[in-house]
Amino acid sequence: MSPLVEHLRDIVGARHVLERPTELLVYESDALPGYRKRPRLAVFPGTREEVIAVVRALHREGLPFVARGAGTGLSGGALADDIVLLGLQRLRRIIEINPVERFAVVEPGVVNATLSKAAEPYGLHYAPDPSSQSACTIGGNVAENAGGPHCLKYGVTLNHVLGATVVLADGTVQPLATPRPPERGYDLLGAFVGSEGCFGIALDVTVRLTPNPEGVRTMLADFPSVDGAARATSAIIAAGIVPAALELMDAGTIEAVEASIYAAGYPVDAAAVLLVEVDGAEAGLDEDAREVERLCTEAGARRVRVAHDDAERARLWQGRKKAFGAMGRLAPNLAVQDAVVPRTRLAPILAAIAEIGARHRVRICNVFHAGDGNLHPNIPYDAADPDEDARVHAAMGEIMELCIAEGGSITGEHGVGLDKLHHMERLFTGDSLDAMCRLRDAFDPGRRANPGKVVPAHRCREWLAAAGADDRGAVARER
Amino acid sequence: MARWPVSADRPAYRPGSADELAALVRDAHDSRTPLRIAGRGGWLAAGGPVRTDAARLDVALLAGIVEYVPGDLTLTARAGTTLAELDAATARHGQWCPLLPFGDDDATLGAVFATASAGPFTRSLGAPRDLALGLEFVDGTGRVARGGGRVVKNVAGFDLTRLLVGSWGTLGVITEVTVRLRARPRVDETWALALDPADAAASRALDALDALERGPLAPLAIARLSERACAALALPHDRRVLARLGGNASFVAAARAALRALGDAERSDAAIWSRVRALGGDDPAPSPRNALADPVSQRIKRLSDPGHILNPGILGEPLS
Repeated sequence: MSPLVEHLRDIVGARHVLERPTELLVYESDALPGYRKRPRLAVFPGTREEVIAVVRALHREGLPFVARGAGTGLSGGALADDIVLLGLQRLRRIIEINPVERFAVVEPGVVNATLSKAAEPYGLHYAPDPSSQSACTIGGNVAENAGGPHCLKYGVTLNHVLGATVVLADGTVQPLATPRPPERGYDLLGAFVGSEGCFGIALDVTVRLTPNPEGVRTMLADFPSVDGAARATSAIIAAGIVPAALELMDAGTIEAVEASIYAAGYPVDAAAVLLVEVDGAEAGLDEDAREVERLCTEAGARRVRVAHDDAERARLWQGRKKAFGAMGRLAPNLAVQDAVVPRTRLAPILAAIAEIGARHRVRICNVFHAGDGNLHPNIPYDAADPDEDARVHAAMGEIMELCIAEGGSITGEHGVGLDKLHHMERLFTGDSLDAMCRLRDAFDPGRRANPGKVVPAHRCREWLAAAGADDRGAVARER
Repeated sequence: MARWPVSADRPAYRPGSADELAALVRDAHDSRTPLRIAGRGGWLAAGGPVRTDAARLDVALLAGIVEYVPGDLTLTARAGTTLAELDAATARHGQWCPLLPFGDDDATLGAVFATASAGPFTRSLGAPRDLALGLEFVDGTGRVARGGGRVVKNVAGFDLTRLLVGSWGTLGVITEVTVRLRARPRVDETWALALDPADAAASRALDALDALERGPLAPLAIARLSERACAALALPHDRRVLARLGGNASFVAAARAALRALGDAERSDAAIWSRVRALGGDDPAPSPRNALADPVSQRIKRLSDPGHILNPGILGEPLS
């Protein structure tokens, strides 16, 4: 690899190529503890020209690579197993903000919250708000089709990306857009968003900026049972109210948050709380807020508290956004799930999850986007204890089976990555997985961008055929 | 009306199930028979260079709602289901299938997604790509695949759904779609405004209308009508703007006040929107430009439809 390293140093500068194990340590995992893969080397280009030059150099050598933003992902998607890691966090330029047409053009390493801050003087913001928004990058958000609490009303990353320029793994630079009728063509942009780094690297991204709402009402409803909170959620959705956000936290989560520096003043004796926010034109807000309050009370809420000012609102939200971090204090490891279920099925599914947790003697902390049916039943645990480790994995497997059987999906916003690879065959038929492999092949015929993620390689028929003919093929490498 | 020259002596297939459709496509692939895919035939005029030897593959019999749980605000239906059928089924539960494209309500679900048809409500309710949660399709070799799912948020796997939406039947025949529904607004009012775009004095009011559309009190839809359209809708010739307001009572009251500040407004009926949509659906512009000019699109096409049998030429691509 040495001549290549020399070449990469020439492109990006010597101090932006890391080779030593101690330097690479921080890149061995993402935000999901439990997976560790050491990259062969890590390279950090500083401009789009450097990104293109690095990709072309790797292409000439036929080497696979993994693109990485801030490493805040929760699926093991940005791990490079003995291959090149291509970090993009130096590309953090906001190229343009257009307040009239309400869009921004940014480099992939721009941090999500930084963009919203830059748009603030114009009364605009970038709507998708993953809980890691203070660190995660727009490039990573696009790769994962990231969500967040306010995606219930405003839509996920897909609905806010207007265009991108990408470099494909063979070094070709291609602009991607969604054709606007009467123009015809494939929605390559739609296919690219959420492709988890397997289709290429975004050099710039054009995103929609959303006007800040005229008014906001943030409410905390306090329930003596998880069942009541779940029923209130289903009732609010069925009533046709579209809250900006509708989040559920159970007792395990409340306890973790309240014991941490992120204490938000949640009632510690509640079985569950709902954090409900309605926003938009000031004119209709109180009517919606009263309706939410009524539906929560009908479902058994003991109290519905309305935040009086921005400070109280921010505090209520901080507890929610930092809940994963607060759980990190409880144990060395945290198993994270991201399944989505039909919203009418929330109450029975949460009851079944509690039963699974009790049976396997694991502590399940639920904190999730209830309005979307996007669950996060997380389990803090100690992986060094083989018995506990086995029980956690058994419980997680059963929860996933349950969600699939209820007509759900294995992931709503975190992505498949490495972590959920083995569930893909439960969710999709062989022909569907093969169609996904072919879509990947159209963007990256050399199969070098983030190999081994999203679709199990043995499900790609042509890959198998190629591996039979040529044992240096991608399938052999991926296994 | 069909400009697409499907000759009378070519067969028209009307499969009754997705399996039957898959078998037909498999045969067509093996015999290299080009297929012209149709729902109710509304888009047959949407030409481009065409082949006269195409057999018509009709999806209309693949119809009906597969699953509808009102509380989930999601609905799964076969591709040949018409918008009128979806409207009737969802109206009973105070809901809406937000696909309200230009054209008439005989349009099929499959065709609306395959053509990514927009309408006057796209801005507020979303475009087909925003509303498709998952779909099933038969690719150009006759294999049945599925993308997405039936839940409202889903990032599992590469996005075959976005790939198929707007692909004009050239990557696969859509057989089933799961769509995101909306609750119908509690208060729903349509107003005709006395605003004439040709009138210089009205220009300030028209600017204010643009601002209203971009602001917090944005209507569900605004239609700026030509004189001809006014006549076709039996509106007075100076009532050149239609606005539909939807939301709770306090929201609509505020939006109504903002609207009336722009000019003389008269209440109209919500039914007028069906006619506005029908007017806009007249003349689908053909696509002379080759939409498959870039290498990624070319590879997608080749890997999905290696025989180039699905709607050949409809994207302006060369036929050989």
